[in-house]
Amino acid sequence: MSSVITAKGITKRYGKRVAVDGIDFDIPAGRIVGLIGPNGSGKTTTLKAALGLIPFEGSLSVLGFDPRTQRDDLMQDVCFIADVAILPRWLRVKDAIDFVAGVHPRFNREKAERYIAATSLRPAMKVKEMSKGMIVQLHLALVMAIDAKLLVLDEPTLGLDILYRKQFYQNLLEDYFDEHKTIVITTHQVEEVEHILTDLMFIREGRIVLAASMEEIGERYIEVMVSHDKLSAANALQPIDRRTVFGKSVMLFDAASNGISRQQLAALGETRNPSVADLFVATMKGSYA
Amino acid sequence: MNTVTMKWLLRREFWEYKGSMFWAPLAVAALLVLFVGGTVIYGLAMHNLPSHVTINGQTLNGIKVGVTLEATRRIAQLGSSVYLGASLPLFALLTAVIFSYCLGALHDERRDRSILFWKSLPVSDGMTVLSKAITALLVAPLITIVLGTVASLLLLLISCVTLSLGGVHLFGYVLSSPDLYLSPLRLLALLPVYVVWALPAVGWLLLVSSWARAKPLIWAVGVPLIGLLLVKWISLAAANVNGEPLGLMPYAQDVVARLLGGIVPGIWFTFDGVPPAVRNDPNGAAMDGLVSSSYATLAHADAWLWALIGAAMLYAAMRLRRFRDEG
Repeated sequence: MSSVITAKGITKRYGKRVAVDGIDFDIPAGRIVGLIGPNGSGKTTTLKAALGLIPFEGSLSVLGFDPRTQRDDLMQDVCFIADVAILPRWLRVKDAIDFVAGVHPRFNREKAERYIAATSLRPAMKVKEMSKGMIVQLHLALVMAIDAKLLVLDEPTLGLDILYRKQFYQNLLEDYFDEHKTIVITTHQVEEVEHILTDLMFIREGRIVLAASMEEIGERYIEVMVSHDKLSAANALQPIDRRTVFGKSVMLFDAASNGISRQQLAALGETRNPSVADLFVATMKGSYA
Repeated sequence: MNTVTMKWLLRREFWEYKGSMFWAPLAVAALLVLFVGGTVIYGLAMHNLPSHVTINGQTLNGIKVGVTLEATRRIAQLGSSVYLGASLPLFALLTAVIFSYCLGALHDERRDRSILFWKSLPVSDGMTVLSKAITALLVAPLITIVLGTVASLLLLLISCVTLSLGGVHLFGYVLSSPDLYLSPLRLLALLPVYVVWALPAVGWLLLVSSWARAKPLIWAVGVPLIGLLLVKWISLAAANVNGEPLGLMPYAQDVVARLLGGIVPGIWFTFDGVPPAVRNDPNGAAMDGLVSSSYATLAHADAWLWALIGAAMLYAAMRLRRFRDEG
């Protein structure tokens, strides 16, 4: 499978502060990648570099284009929702649809109107009359109707209630995604996206600390409910995280880093795959200190 | 593809600035017709015909005593040649509209961060900046020309009807005067001259709009004025040392006038010492002379050099929009 994004040594400095510190990564086509990191970790900066919104150092190829010099070609095949973007206050729903239909060759008007019909948005409504959730609904309806090869979503569901968030991710999977498309998502609500992701990338202080497919992660990270009598044996295997749930110790092990086998861990107690959120917390320990 | 995109970009600008670009001039045009027209009707109804009429420096006497055919013809000719002068307030408004439009055009989208939405669509920065320059240089003036012509024609109609009630029948003369039909075309013919002269100012204002993090108005006006003060101060200092001024002031004033005043319609007459050719010509060649003397200002290389500088500033505004990181 060909790569959609290939990054080598991407660095971005804001004054003296290094926002992105020489990262390399590769995103193949047909994947849904979760780019996950705390605030200020550089995830938005990385996405902006890939979308040609900012200058940067290093080499980056997105769908075969250099986003610094070939942005106009790139934007024919890429669509994105930036975390801080809002729609202009004066824009009407029908004008927004007309405009995107007018300038975007891959926009499916009928699809956008179908999404909007499922909301409380009305064609003559202006953005300034909408609630925050309604604005997001309009923006998502416009973007979901664009048949882009790469879709970048930076906090797409911020401000939406749980019902619409679930609906959105369901639409994304059923109605939008196929093997020719690639989606990169960042969000704080990890638990809502983890079941749709195929790949995971953790970013911390401008560096990628983990990049793997969900299958690899399932094989590599194991969570064990350790029984009381096996605590010292479990600690000897150097868990990367430990916490207590209902008086029981839950430990997280990285099978790849110190050659622990699943059988070894099964002897300590009940094993299961950790949630992305728990894995994230364990990996990011100390980031907020 | 490109022309379709441009069409939508221009429509986009019109949606956003409909208030200042369309409704404001429409309201002023309506008020003009209402008040000036009302005054004409009221004046003639209450005081009957005046003993003399002065239009554009031409005084016609003895109207009241007995309106001769000759006098009627002259009034009609004057009316049909200068009636567009009634739209002058609209052109004053146009200057203010273009000034504030250019300052906001590339700044507002960054302030409310909607720029990231526009940039998520396959529309290049070059097209976007070009659409804003076209809106300022062509769309807004065209709207004003159309509204100004309609308002002026309405006022002429009101005057003719009112005068005919007083026994002075102008319709035949007015309608048969070629000036009636040529005047709007001459106004339209001035548009290319306007584009050349307004380009430096539009370029400068859009550049500031694209560059300033906040308060584009202060930057756009402040930088040229402070520059002017600095030059004045240097000249004075030089005059104290050498005993003679450096002679930079006229150049500095010229630069500031072009950067800030370029969008004023007719500003070109103030640069080359061409006197406005609004002559006291009873045959109504005023507008005609206006057009030819306006085009004469384009014979100077200065106008074109500055238009080029304006285009370069538009290019700089486009580059700034391309890589401006809004964090």
